[in-house]
Amino acid sequence: MNAPFFKYGLFGDDTSLVVAFAIGIAFGFFLERGGFGSGRKLAAQFYFKDMAVLKVMFTGIITAMVGVYWLSRVGFLDLSLVYLVPTRPLANMVGGLLLGIGFVIGGYCPGTSVVAAATGRIDAMVYLMGMVSGMGAVGFAWPSLEGWVNANALGPATLPGLSGIPYGVIVALVVVMAIVAFVAAEWGEVKSGGRALAEQSLFGVHKLTRTWGLFLGLLGLAFVAALAGSPYRGPRVTLDGNALGRTAATGADHVSPATLADRLIAGTNEYRLIDLRSPEAYLKDHIPGAENVSMTALPAALWTPTEPVLLYSEDGERAAQAWLYLKARGFPRVSTLAGGYAGWREQVLSPTLPEPKDEVARLEAERERAIAAHFGGAARIPLAAAALGLTPGVSPAAQVAPTQVASPRQIATPPPQVVTPPAPVAPAAPSASGAKKKEGC
Amino acid sequence: MSNNTHAPQPYWNPYLAGFGVGLALLAAFVFMGRGLGASSAFAAFAGAGVSAVAPEFAKHHAYFADYATGNPFKEWLVFEVMGVFLGGLVSGLLANRTRLTIEHGPRWTNAKRLVFAFGGGAIMAFGAKIAGGCTSGQGLTGGALLNAGSWLFMGTMFAGAYGIAYFVRKQWT
Amino acid sequence: MTVLELTSNRHNPGIDPLLNAWGWEIAVYLFLGGLVAGSLILGGYRVLKSPRRQAGESYPWGPLLGVLLLSLGMGALFLDLGHKLSVGRLYLTFQPTSPMSWGAWILLLVYPAMLAAALLYPPERVPFGNAPLARVRAWSEWVHARPRLVQGIGIANLAGGAALGLYTGVLLGTLGARPLWNSAILGPLFLISGMSTAAAVLHLLSMVGANAKQDSFGDLLLSGLVRLLNKDTGKSSMVRYDQSFMTIELALIGLWMIGLLTSTTAHRAAAALLLSGAWAPQFWSLVVLTGLVAPLVLQHFEFIGRIRHTVIPPLLVLFGGFFLRFIVVGAGQGSHW
Repeated sequence: MNAPFFKYGLFGDDTSLVVAFAIGIAFGFFLERGGFGSGRKLAAQFYFKDMAVLKVMFTGIITAMVGVYWLSRVGFLDLSLVYLVPTRPLANMVGGLLLGIGFVIGGYCPGTSVVAAATGRIDAMVYLMGMVSGMGAVGFAWPSLEGWVNANALGPATLPGLSGIPYGVIVALVVVMAIVAFVAAEWGEVKSGGRALAEQSLFGVHKLTRTWGLFLGLLGLAFVAALAGSPYRGPRVTLDGNALGRTAATGADHVSPATLADRLIAGTNEYRLIDLRSPEAYLKDHIPGAENVSMTALPAALWTPTEPVLLYSEDGERAAQAWLYLKARGFPRVSTLAGGYAGWREQVLSPTLPEPKDEVARLEAERERAIAAHFGGAARIPLAAAALGLTPGVSPAAQVAPTQVASPRQIATPPPQVVTPPAPVAPAAPSASGAKKKEGC
Repeated sequence: MSNNTHAPQPYWNPYLAGFGVGLALLAAFVFMGRGLGASSAFAAFAGAGVSAVAPEFAKHHAYFADYATGNPFKEWLVFEVMGVFLGGLVSGLLANRTRLTIEHGPRWTNAKRLVFAFGGGAIMAFGAKIAGGCTSGQGLTGGALLNAGSWLFMGTMFAGAYGIAYFVRKQWT
Repeated sequence: MTVLELTSNRHNPGIDPLLNAWGWEIAVYLFLGGLVAGSLILGGYRVLKSPRRQAGESYPWGPLLGVLLLSLGMGALFLDLGHKLSVGRLYLTFQPTSPMSWGAWILLLVYPAMLAAALLYPPERVPFGNAPLARVRAWSEWVHARPRLVQGIGIANLAGGAALGLYTGVLLGTLGARPLWNSAILGPLFLISGMSTAAAVLHLLSMVGANAKQDSFGDLLLSGLVRLLNKDTGKSSMVRYDQSFMTIELALIGLWMIGLLTSTTAHRAAAALLLSGAWAPQFWSLVVLTGLVAPLVLQHFEFIGRIRHTVIPPLLVLFGGFFLRFIVVGAGQGSHW
């Protein structure tokens, strides 16, 4: 069995919401047990009276961290498929500062306010109203915030990745740091007059309590982790080289631009479109619905391994590399766009129309022109035909600069007698971005 | 069997509660390949509210467009937060800790507390949206995944909280 | 040359319509109908066991509340009707094979049964109108003097409640067009769920009506119907009855799902709609966990005296009871052959 279960297709979107509810119950239960339903207890953290926030939060962090490390290390969990909120250093720090200020003024953080509201705290209910109003206000302020919030984004970045220190060593360091912080916190509680219960204490207790048992266990696992190597999966998928070769030879995993265009127009495209080009090229133009993903972010960006994916790059070379990379990572349903984006441009956006020798060719030309217009391109007309004036309804602009991408308004609508394909509509909005799953907090 | 024998029970050992929180978080990683969160659920509600009032405006707004098409009751975090509510409710009732009260220090009034709660919630919304997560989504989740941005976030969060704590001390102590 | 494409398969909306004719109104109607059915049954049992009012109890408001709630439910049904003026026609005829006709007549017949039950327990005093009260009390004594009549009222309440409760489920079950509803268990399920919501409402009433001197949990509950359900012991409580209703309800939901899962492909698909499909999030979280498991756990601890007695468990039962109907109505319309 492979985890994360959801990304390996063990259950679908609907069941994932049931899982969300069940995990939420556990989360809320333990938060309440730790005293996070009380604003006074939470705020006491910042007056050194009661360091429960630090204790619960960091015990939670190190438990999950050690768990993630070992489950990944033994090959059960694929760590590269676990979503990481992209690092944006400036925004992370400014947002953290605001959050800390809001925490002490409001008395809660978003998760604990839900628990507090559930246990009857009226201030928490008011806090929740404040937060929903604030979320609306952020929306209105977003256009002016967006620029610097997204500035100097590093993408998914981990401490081991940035520092070069092995993952397991950092796990061990964090556990040691947390225990030192707990002892210091309890010392602070004693100094400030808060009372630490001896049974729960790490500080000044010389016998082995249940708490010490928990931390010694975590410490042991963390120290072994420091020596046990990387938690990321190596190449663990068994690939049938012959099958790969056959697929490559027959082109069974190729999708031609014309096929894709037809499916997009008909709304029958089942592929998730991944644009592997640079963000600049993507912003300039891309196939409607495509997502811009860099090669390194590829496995984590994909939703489930069983989802059909269509890759394209400028000339197809990078897509071919990504195809092999994903195959090697165990994604079975990966295809590439034949000819890459260049092929799309050549065959769909600005196709060279056939000479309108007869009725069939003329209809075919109209069809291609309509498709090109649908995607915001302009068909190229063979010079001879253009000279003979046999292609009515083409604006001069399209003739002068045939390869230039023109807006659909510059193209005259095809004559009404043409019934296939459907009349061009406004270029389809990249709806995939709207439907994209949101994973952040 | 009278009510006064049902005094609130003491809270759990915080390390044990933290261990439970860690296991819930680990379950989220194993089942879903994602962590826990909270603030985005409220962003979804705010977004749904705005797009219910002004659908055309929301559809073309850089921020609200994300919420204009979706149903908040099909969001993962919304269900998770509903679960948090039920889990907190059951835990609070089982420990006789559920009381309809307003919490503040002896030198503060209820009205001031509610104003501060509302304001704090609004500040929190800005902080969470800018940081890309709250104490759960960035702090717990990112912390456990050794996410670089999350550790920066936690540093400034504690700094901000300790920095402001002195100025609002009358609210709590 | 014109190419016309005709969709001849089930994507053609004219062939396989997605029925969204029934919205929240039907769910409200089924919920209130079940609630009234449950209170009729509990009330009928009460009449047979002890037709006399006990001092300080809040039970007698049950039948009157039933009248009010049933009227609300019928109001919701009326809102849902397309041809509101045609409603009178239901009463011009009786169609033995039509559940709608049965329902219309059952609804009409339970009103007098409930009013008669209310008459057996007149309040001791009212804020105003003492003269009419005296007349009501005289009628009440007249009925009490005739034990056969009292027995008849009890049986009429029991029978009317069972018929109404089963009817709310059978109404959906006879619509064979939807595989999710195509189950004989739906009737008993809605009946039992109605009884659990009725017990929850009486439980709430007894708590709201309880005054300060009744500080013990047992007394609080005994001010309700329970005193009569189990006259002699102070141990038994409404909670226990609600507990057993909810346990049976969980078992019936399980049987319903097993029945569907072991049937045809269409039935399996219908069950999957609730278990893992589009309605699974609401079904599991709102009905099973919030509406059944959570109150079962909480009431168990209340019952053994470990925790304080609060209004939250009965509120959760009512919440779950409503969403059971809402989801069964909604998901049923989404299931098809």
